[in-house]
Formats: sequence, C-alpha cells, structure tokens
Amino acid sequence: MNLIINNLSKTYSNGVKALQNVSLDIPTGMFGLLGPNGAGKSTLMRTIATLQEADTGTVSLGNLDVLNEKHEIRKILGYLPQQFGLYPKISAEVLLNHLAVLKGITNVSERKEVVKALLHKTNLYEKRKQNLGGFSGGMKQRFGIAQALLTNPKLLIVDEPTAGLDPMERNRFYNLLSELGENTVVILSTHIVEDVKELCTNMAIINNGHVLLKGNPLDVIADIEGKVYQKTIHKNELENYKKDYTVIADKLFLGKPIINILSDNDPGHGFSAIPSGLEDVYFSQIFNNRG
Amino acid sequence: MWYEIFKFELKYRAKRLDTYIFFIFIFLFSIVAVDFIYQGVDLGLVKKNAPIIIARTMGALTGLTLMIASLIMGVPILRDFEYNMESLMFVNPIKKRDYLLGRFLGSFVVLLIVFTGLIWGNALGEFMPWRDPEELLPFNFMAYIQPFFTVVIPILFFGSALFFVSGALSRKLIVVYTQALFIFVLFMLTRNVENEFLSAILDPFSLNTLSTMTDLWSTPELNGQLIPFNGVLLYSKLFWIAIGMIILIIGYKRFNYNVVKSKSFKKKKQAIIETEIAPPDNEELPNFTVHQGFKSQCIQLLKHSLFYFKSILKEVSFWAIVICAMVIILINSISLGTVYGVDSFPATYFIVEELKEMSGYFFIIILVFYSGELIWKERGAKLSLIYDALPSTDFINLAGKFIGLILIYGVLMLSIIVSGVIFQSFNGYYQFELDLYFISFFGDFLPFLILYTFMSFFIHVMVNKKFVAYILVFTFFIGSVAMGLLGFNHGLYNFGGNKIGAYSSMNGFGHFLAPYLWIKAYWFVFCFILFIISAIFSVRGTETSLIKRWKQAKQRLSKPLKTYASVAILMFIALGSFIFYNTNILNTYWTKTQQLEFRIGYEQNLKQFEYVPQPKITSVNLIVELYPQTRDYTAEGYYILVNSTEASIQNIHVQKLIESDVKLEEVTFEGGATLDDQYLEYSYYQYALNQVLQPGDSIKMSFKQSFTTRGFENGGSNSHVVNNGTFFNNKDFPTLGYSNKYEIRDADDREDFGLAARKGMADRNDPIELKNAVNGDDGYNINFEMVIGTDIDQTAIAPGTLVKHWEDDNRSYFHYKMEQPMINFYSIVSARYEVMKDSWIAPNDSLKTPVDLEIYYHKGHEYNIDRMMSSMKLSFDYFSTNFSPYPYEQMRIMEFPRYAQFAQSFPTAVPFSEGIGFMLDIDDETDVDMAFYITAHELAHQWWGLQVVAANVQGRYMILETLSQYSALMVLRQKYSEAKVQQFLKGELKSYFVGKAKEEHEESTLALVEKEEYIYYRKGAVNMYALQDYIGEANVNLALKRFVKDWNAFDDNFNKERYATTIDLLAYFREVTPKHLQYLITDLFETNTHYDTKVANYSSTKLDNGSYKVDVEYTISKYKTDHKGKRLYGETQNDSLVYKTETMKTPLVSMFLTDYVDVVIFGKAKNDGDTSPPILYNQKHKITEIANTLSIIVDQEPTEVGVDPYCKLIDKNTADNRKSL
Repeated sequence: MNLIINNLSKTYSNGVKALQNVSLDIPTGMFGLLGPNGAGKSTLMRTIATLQEADTGTVSLGNLDVLNEKHEIRKILGYLPQQFGLYPKISAEVLLNHLAVLKGITNVSERKEVVKALLHKTNLYEKRKQNLGGFSGGMKQRFGIAQALLTNPKLLIVDEPTAGLDPMERNRFYNLLSELGENTVVILSTHIVEDVKELCTNMAIINNGHVLLKGNPLDVIADIEGKVYQKTIHKNELENYKKDYTVIADKLFLGKPIINILSDNDPGHGFSAIPSGLEDVYFSQIFNNRG
Repeated sequence: MWYEIFKFELKYRAKRLDTYIFFIFIFLFSIVAVDFIYQGVDLGLVKKNAPIIIARTMGALTGLTLMIASLIMGVPILRDFEYNMESLMFVNPIKKRDYLLGRFLGSFVVLLIVFTGLIWGNALGEFMPWRDPEELLPFNFMAYIQPFFTVVIPILFFGSALFFVSGALSRKLIVVYTQALFIFVLFMLTRNVENEFLSAILDPFSLNTLSTMTDLWSTPELNGQLIPFNGVLLYSKLFWIAIGMIILIIGYKRFNYNVVKSKSFKKKKQAIIETEIAPPDNEELPNFTVHQGFKSQCIQLLKHSLFYFKSILKEVSFWAIVICAMVIILINSISLGTVYGVDSFPATYFIVEELKEMSGYFFIIILVFYSGELIWKERGAKLSLIYDALPSTDFINLAGKFIGLILIYGVLMLSIIVSGVIFQSFNGYYQFELDLYFISFFGDFLPFLILYTFMSFFIHVMVNKKFVAYILVFTFFIGSVAMGLLGFNHGLYNFGGNKIGAYSSMNGFGHFLAPYLWIKAYWFVFCFILFIISAIFSVRGTETSLIKRWKQAKQRLSKPLKTYASVAILMFIALGSFIFYNTNILNTYWTKTQQLEFRIGYEQNLKQFEYVPQPKITSVNLIVELYPQTRDYTAEGYYILVNSTEASIQNIHVQKLIESDVKLEEVTFEGGATLDDQYLEYSYYQYALNQVLQPGDSIKMSFKQSFTTRGFENGGSNSHVVNNGTFFNNKDFPTLGYSNKYEIRDADDREDFGLAARKGMADRNDPIELKNAVNGDDGYNINFEMVIGTDIDQTAIAPGTLVKHWEDDNRSYFHYKMEQPMINFYSIVSARYEVMKDSWIAPNDSLKTPVDLEIYYHKGHEYNIDRMMSSMKLSFDYFSTNFSPYPYEQMRIMEFPRYAQFAQSFPTAVPFSEGIGFMLDIDDETDVDMAFYITAHELAHQWWGLQVVAANVQGRYMILETLSQYSALMVLRQKYSEAKVQQFLKGELKSYFVGKAKEEHEESTLALVEKEEYIYYRKGAVNMYALQDYIGEANVNLALKRFVKDWNAFDDNFNKERYATTIDLLAYFREVTPKHLQYLITDLFETNTHYDTKVANYSSTKLDNGSYKVDVEYTISKYKTDHKGKRLYGETQNDSLVYKTETMKTPLVSMFLTDYVDVVIFGKAKNDGDTSPPILYNQKHKITEIANTLSIIVDQEPTEVGVDPYCKLIDKNTADNRKSL
C-alpha cells in the first residue's frame, strides 16, 4: 500500500508557496523527507496528517483519498507533530490511556495492556505516574511516539522528531522507529542528513516547496560517487572559489574553512577526492536548486 | 528602562484587536447603562443625569465590566509564559522593578483609556432618542468626568493590582478571572455590613458609599450638586488604593524573576530524573481491537466528558468559586419573603429563589470562561495537532467538552443545594423538600445554562478569537435580557424562552410548567442544530479562516450528523409550529405595541360612553362551575339592574372581560333587547332595550360566561384560575359601561400617542365621582346568592352564609347566600383547604349571635393561624365596640397562591396571599406580629370600605387605608406593648421617606391622596398615631363612630346623595380636637409638614436630696414642603423664625411655632438585657421658639434625653432626637 502524492500545491494567505506541484510515491517502510528549515516539510506532513488543506493535487493511500476521507485516514494514522506540549498536571499513563480511548481502543483490559506495553517500549513505564509537566525533552518526545504508535498505524508521520534531542535520546528514538513493521508507511521529516542515512530506505529532498530529488539513499549517493572534492582554504578566498567552482559546502574544520565542490573530473589545485556522502547529495541539491 | 517596557506595552496593545473590542463594548454598554441599571427604579424627581445617578451608574458599570479589567490586567506577565517568552525576557538585563513597573503601568494606562468608554458612552447616552429631554437636567460634562476620577479610577487601580499580581504569580488566566468573583463576593458582603460607615468604606463600587453620603440631601441638591470627593467617599477610595498598593508590594516581593515557577504557591515540584536507561522492549504490542461502532463512540464520549470534567475539578480556581458560592448564602442577607422586616420560615422555595439569584453570577462566570478555556484547551497546551489527528469524530470532541462543563455545573449546583440545606438546618427548619431543590436547579436553572453554553460554544468556534468571543458571549447575555425588557418576550424568538415561573406550595409549578417544557424543548433542538454546526466548523488542524472551514464543513458533515441535523431541523419546525399554534392561534399573543394600540383604540372609541347613565346592579345570582384541573369555568345566572337615575335608559352597555379565553354568551334582557355589535372588538356589547327602562324600574339581565383554557400561552398566563388556589373577583364577570382600567396609564406613553393626560383622581367636589365608589360602581346594596361547584377535593368559597353543601357527579357544590345587602364586590375562591373554625360574639350583643370565624389554609401552613384567629377576635371586639356593629354572620380568611402578594377584604371574606402572612417566622421578641397586624388591617376594611363607602375622589384611600392602618394599630396595641407599636411605626416612617424619594410628581397631602401608598399607608399610620397620641384614642374613636353612623351606606337610614370624602372625615376629627391642638389637623392631613428636632445638649446634676436636675437644650424647626420638595417657611419673607449661633454655618429657619412636643427622660435599665429603660419623665411641652432650654428634676439618674423620641412627628433625621450621656 503506497502513499501517492500527486501534484500537491499549497500557497499560504501571506503568499508563501509552501508546496509546489509535489509528487511522491512513498512505499511502505521508512521514508525520509529531507530539507532545510522552511522547505515545506511540515506543510506536507500536516497535509498528509489531515490537518491542513491543499490548494490542488491529490494524496491517496491505497484506495483512500487522504484529502477527502480524513476520518478514514485518521483511523490508521499515527502522527507526531514537530512541536507539541502536554497537559502538565496529568500523568503519562492517564493521558496515553485517554488518547487510546479516542483512538478506539475502548475495551478496558485491552487498553490497559496496550498502554502498558507502549510505556515499556518507550521506557516510560517507571515514570508513568509522574505528571507530564516534569518530563524532559527526550521523555516528552518518547511519549509523543508512544501515542503515535497506539493502534499500530498503517501511516506514521513523524515531523522532525530528533530536533533538540541529545545523541543518546536520538539513538533510543531511532531504535523505536526501526522496529516498526515493514508494512507501515513511515514518513520522517528532518533536516539532519544522518537521520535519513541511518534509517530510511527511501528519501526525498525538498526545498522551497519543490521536490529536488527522490530515491534510495544509497543510489543517490552512488550518483555522485567520485565527484566530490575537498580543500582547506583561507577565509578570504571563499568568494573566489565560489565563482570558480560548484561549492556545495563550506564548513570549518579545526577552525579553518574547508570547502567541498562538485566536479565531474579532478579539478586539481590542491583539491582531493573524498568519498561522497548523503550530506553532499543534500547540499548539492540545495545548491543547484538555489542556483 | 521601565519607560521602554512601558512604551512597548502600549504599542503592543495598540496593535491588538482585543483592546478596541473592549473599548467598544464598554462604550456601547455605557450608552444604555443608565436605562439598564435604573430599569424599573423610580427616581422620583431626581433626574436620570443627576450627578448622583451618573456616579452610581459608573460605579455599578465598573462592577459589571470588571471582567474586562481582568482580561486586560491579567495578561501582561502571563503572556510571556504563555508564549514561552519568559526565558528571552528574563535573560535580558532588565531589572525586575522595571519589568513589572513597565508592564503594570503600560497595561493600566491602556485600561484607563479603554474605560474612558464609560465617560463617552454615558455622556452620549444622554442624547439618545429614547431619553426624554424633559426628564433631564442641562448637560454637564463635569458630572461624567468627575465620578470617573473619584469613583472609577480608584477601584480600577485596586482591581488592576489584584489581577496583575494574581496573573503574574499564578501564571493562569482562570485564576485571574476568579479574582473578579472575589471582588463581587466582597461587594455582596459589604451590603450586609450593619454599620453604615463601615459598609460605605468597604463598598468597592461605591454604591453604598454614595447613598450614605447623599442620604440627607434634598432633591434639588441631588439634581444640582456634584458629588464632593470628601468624607466617606474619600476614605473609601484611599482605603482601596492602599489595599491595591499592598497587593502590588506583595506581588513585587513574591514575583520570582526566573523561569521556573515560583515555589511559594506549590510544594516543591519533583523533577523527574531518569536513573538508568533500560534497553527498549522489543516485544510486539499485545492484541487489541479498534472499535468504531456506536457503542465505542458512547464510551469515547463518556470518557472524553469525564476527562474534561476532571480537568476542571483539578483547578483550584473552580473550588474557590464553589466555596464562594456556598458561603455567599450564609454571609449574605437573604430576603425570605420579608414583610415589614419579618422573615418567613426558610421554606425551600424561598431558599431556592434566593440561591438562584445569588449564584447566577457564579454560573455565568463559569459558563463564559470555562467554555472558552475548554474550547482552547488543546491549543493552549499545544496538544491540538495530536488531538486533531485522532480518529474520534468532531462531534465527540466538542460534545465531550460540553458535557464535561455541564457536569461541572452539576457539581456547583449540588454544593449550593448542600449549603441551602445547611442554611435551613441552622435556622431550625427541617422540611428540606429536596425534590424542589432538584427540580428548581436541575429542571429550571440547568436547562438555561445548557442553552447558553451551546451558544457560547457556537460563538467561540465561529469567532475563533478567545477574548473577542468572551465579549460577544457577554453581549449576547445582555442582549437577550434587554430584548425581554423591551417587550420582545415571545418564547419562539427570545433565546431560551422564559423562566419556569413562581413556585407556590399550594399550586406547585401549576400550569406554567407545560409551556415552559415545550419552549425549552424547542430551544434545545435549536441549540442542538447550533451544536452540529459548531462541531463541523470547529478548528481541526491548522486551517482557521472561516472560508476554509466553510469548505471543510461540507466534507465534515458526516452521514450520521446529516441525519441528526435533518431530524433536529424537522423537530425544530414541528415544535415551533406546535408552540405557535398554542400561543398565537389557540390563544392570542400580544406584543407590547399591539397591547398599547388596543388600549388606545379602546379609549378613543369608547371614552364617549364613560358617563353614559347606566342602571345599577341590585342583585347577583349565579351558578359557577369551576373545573380547576382543566382550568375552566362557567358562570350562569342573572343580575337585577335598577334604573336609579332620573332619566329613562334605552341602552345598556356590557363590558366583557377583555381576555381571549373568556366568552360571554346568551345575554338576555327581560322584554328583549337588540345587540349593537359596533364595538365588539373591544368586547363592548351595547344592547338597545325593546322597552325603555324607566327611572326606578328594574330589569333582569341573564348571561352565561365561560372561561376555557386552550393549549398554553406564552408565559404570563392567567394566574387566577389555577389547579389549586383559584381566586378571582366579580370584575371578571360582565360589568356595565366604559371601563377606564383599560386606559394607558403611563404618562409618557399617553403623550407619545397623543392622548390627553390622565387625571389621577377627581376633585373632592366632582359631582359624578362623588356618587361613584369603584368597588361597587356598578351597584350598591346588592343581594347576593351563588352556587359554586368545584372538584370533589376542593372547597369553594364566596361571601355569605353557606346555605347548603352537597356532592354530585363526583363534584362538590356550595350554595352561599348573603342575608344582608352588601357592596358589589365579591371573591370566588377554590382550593384544597384545611380549615380552622372558631366563633366570636359581640360583647355588646344581647342576642349573643355568634359570628363564625374560619381560616382556610394550605396543609402545612399552620404556623400563624392562631395569631390570625386571635387578631380576628380582638379586631371584632375593638371595632364593634368603638365604631359600629359587624353586620354579617361570618368572617373567613382564605389562603391563595403567592402569584400575588396581598390580602384583600371582601364582604365576609379576606383572601390572603400565601406569600405574606402564612409563612412568616415571627419572633415575638424581635419582630412585629405582621400576621396579626395584616389580619386586623383587612378586618378593619369591613368598616372602612364595606360600611363607609368612600367616594372615588382624592382622599379616598385615606378613608379606606389610613383609617384601616389606625384601626389595626389600635388592635395591635390590645395585644402587644407600646414598644412594638413604635417599632412598627419606625418602619412606616422609613418607608414613607423611601416612597417620598421616588415620588415623581407633587407629594399629595393625606386629605388629597390619590394612589400613593407611601402616603396613605405609611405616613397615614404615623400621623394617625400622632393624632390619637395628642388628642386621645377615645376622641379619635368618638369621631370615627360618628363618621360611621352618618356615612354607613348600608344603613337603612342612609339617605345621602353621595359617598364620603376626607372633607367629611376631617370635620369629625376637628369636632373632637381641643382648640389648642386644631393646628394638628391641618399639619397632619391637609399639608405636608416636617419637623427637625434635635437634642443639642443636656447635663444632669445630682441634688442633695438624691434626685437629679436635668438641663436640656434642644432645637425644633418646622417647615412645609411644596410640590417640588422645596422647603416653605411661610407665606412671606418675614414670618419665619431664624436661629443662629456663632458656631453654626447656616441658620436654622422655622415656621412660627405654637406646637407641642414630647420631652422624655430615660433612666438606667435595671439589668443589661432590658431593652426598654424606665421613663423618668414624659411630658408634652409647648414650643414657640427654635432653641429651647428646660430644667427638669427627676428622681433617678438619667441616661438619655429625647425630644419627640418616638418619632410621632415626621422627621427625616430621627437619630438626633435622642441623646445619651
């Protein structure tokens, strides 16, 4: 059951074109949506999560029309928004339990078991009686995934789940996601390239509302294999290099600027070939798009 | 630095829509405020734009709009936390002082600007077209500016401090709103503070303060002077400002300038620290099923409702409201059907009515704010995206919040019921009638709240701006109240319909229940439709624009919702049609305008017949069949009419009661007559007799009248014919000729419609009205006979002897016949009664004919029937000895439901409302026995009204009511002490001044009194007491005895061509008054005379022989008032007395005096508990000067000196009539 997005466009009332003719075919498994801040990821996610209207285009999951059969979609949906809060004065167990009821697990004993299992799974069981007001960012995020996993969703949307998490929490979170069955469509949006590389079987890069690239992370890396060169430069040389080469990244290494460029053949001039990574793909796409 | 923050605050607010909405709301509300607040209040000659009225209006308005202050002042600090800005703010190098000060002052300035709406609105209100320029003083802008500074700003400052600090410390909006409630409770408390000064100081809105300040002001002063900012007003404002400062200082100290919530209010929060990281559990989720069926939806709804319910239960602020609402009944003075200061037993219906009234405010606060809080709950917690993506339906999401809130109302209601029961127990009353509590709260109040909650949800969803919606909800509340007040009160379009109506223990909710339920059902269906609209329009996801939601709504209208909505719309139409059929087709619905137009038409068409000579009724013989259960009756029989004029009569004008359910049929005249139906639309039947009725001849007029209840009416339906406790009088039967009771009375309305001003009452020499006696204007000296049939379990009562009683066809029949002629004024009463019987024999009756005394009362209302019976006996003793014999053979008191609050005297019968005597909880120590007194008063009418008939001219009510007051006072004195009589009179004097303040026209004298109760009841009682005190009870009674003898219209020898007037009465008084006191008759009855007596000083010295010499200095001034309340001292400049000492600012002026006044010296009470100290000296002294000194020797140590200490003379300031050491 694939999620098929077809020519989806959305323009906000302030004129921002958040999505422009976005078309994606998302199979089951983990799908990474990569893009810088403000690229339109969240808009796309919210639209798929039935929370926002699109101007044109269609989205379908199997034979369900996502944009028009919202209620049916919600029955099989798990959603973790980018930012969310929790009622401070109630406990994790109570709130999860309540959400489970609203998701339709109305049998008391079943619900109890599911909630218990999910709290274990997210390692919150020990803290289940604590008020949510005292939860740390990571715990909050894990609670978020716990509620998204209620009722074994067929479609799971997690919007920037690792933003603000420390590396340990991030790992714990990946472990949770990676367990999901093969037959769930999982869409993970992020601006962190590593996330996609580690988790996703498919991905798309999106910027300014456009899809720049879609495919398997390994394939897209293979596409630019041998085309990425690197050089340590002086600070004031950067502009010159930008004129002469396709600079896809400039960063600091031990306090000195390093630039990566894309080139079909060896540019010489002290550049050395490096193995390409997903990050390079990402930056090259963003760069191209910008150009 | 603080200035930057201050500027930022102003700029921020200037960009917010809320700020403007608040201003507009206050501005618009202010325009109608005076009319709204003084709706139905008589201001007398004080104009609606008098400074005092403006000041009070602004005070009250501030109280009513304090919520807005809380919305403005609660947020400035809170905002930073709400938007998670606190870290950014507090990390800046801003001092705590600058931050708080800047934010506070900024918001406060905005608040003041918003509240200037009070000035502009109120001032503009003066020029609104509905304000009558003649009722206004010249425009004076200062009268608006000044109270804004003196009354409004100080309390706004206090409120601002409170809201600001509570918002900053609690960081919760709902806590802020609750503070406004606290101020309200505080305000209620101050109304209960006995000490006038303290109450004036503590009143936050200055209502008590202003009335205390202007208590002794005269009308011209009230109209002419701005309220000075001194005295109690100044102290009160300083007090509140000081409290405000203290709150700010506390807030400043307590406010923790860091992001973690201050710990002063909470025990230390447990930080959750994870100690170890367990490896994630890799197990699959256990098996479960996702249910989507109806059953699971019900479970979801239930759980959802409970979830919100519990979330409010966890709020401290909610419990604060509950506690406030519970204690308010315990701390607030409750009016328990109070009659003359005597409370009733705390019967459940009294308690319920009071509880509902007092708690209304609390419920409305909960309704308005919690409905907003709930609608915004997920969004407030930033959880909305998670919730919105859940598969629960729109309907369940909204319905859960709705039901949760309704459950909250339930909790508050239960708490209030508990406090009501506690209150009853404290007062030693244990008949709790829990069913009545529940019906009244859950059957009447709850539906009202539910309907408005629907509306509030609807508004919140549609507007989707929290504060704007709050204002709109409040506006909606005010709007629907105002609509009712303006006469748009049809249940079909006035939101929510009317209230259930008064509860009577005799008649329960009676026939008012059915229309109430139908109309409520109609509105419930309407609101259900609204709710479905709300559900499909509710914001789900990130689309908030109404257009987007409109597009979504079509999609969201799911199949079941569509079905529900269609069914609801059909039901709505069906119910609406059914109600319309009942109220407007089966019955007639009149709007206020239609009523006015009808009355105008009546007057314009028929006034020509007002004095057309008509015959008089001399016999009434009717068979009345009452059907209380279906609320029907028929009356069949005849009148005998006699032509007592000197000309022959061709046309007989019959006026049927103008009421659509009354039909008049089969009207026939002996010898035949032809009906002229020209004015039938006014139920005015003109019959041309076939044979002219010659002077002295009589004719029989037969008719059949029926009253048929069809369906139900739109509230306010007939409360005379009811299931238990029917009571109506002969005015419901056909009357003869034009009936001026249908004329429009309101002078303004008459002017608007071009009708001539209506003269109050005719002059005392009006030849036509002198022969008229209203009560019996269609006849006099009638013979009366009536058979009444009623339900088997009811007793029906009419005047006269019960000749026969039988049962037939499961109905009970009563045949009454009056042996003596009586006035044409009789009542028909029927209810399920208990009866108390006794008899009385006139002390001077040699035949010893007993008069049967009977009290018919509702079971359970036995409390005061012994008092009433004793009053009947003592009254008959006193009246028959001192005035004239009682002509009839029975006297009955019948209780009737509390839809009306009066007792009324008919021949041999006094229908007595359930609400005024039967339920009084009389404490003989502290109260005046009002059950006894009212009984005596009504029995006195058997003489004053039913023997002496007063002509329908000015002064009529002095004969009827003032003499009855006097008679009842004398009977009261037969049983109770003089002190009780004086206690009663003190109340009467006070009521007189209250009534006088509301007088809009000239204040009449007693002799010319028209319909002013405060004169003929209140002043009448005081002045008659003075008269008998000065000339002696025996002399007054002698005068009255002569008066009755000459003017008893039912005496065989009565041969006067007219009825009695006060000219006649005062002549009898003059006859028995000694020469030196003749001035009293003029002062008490023919002019409005006031005294101002004051004990200036006194000292006592112990003499050698053990007695005491008391030196008293006192002043007395006397004046009369003209019709504008202006003091008159005499006809010309130099005929008054003037007295001035060096220390006096203004001189005392008085009319010339040759008056007598009581000087009393009191001794030491023997023991502490004794409230009446011994009287050492009590003499009347002749006074000729304003300032007087006296030396009196008394044999014990004096403690107090009084000049007119018992307030026998009309004196506004009675406090200085006595002086104690």
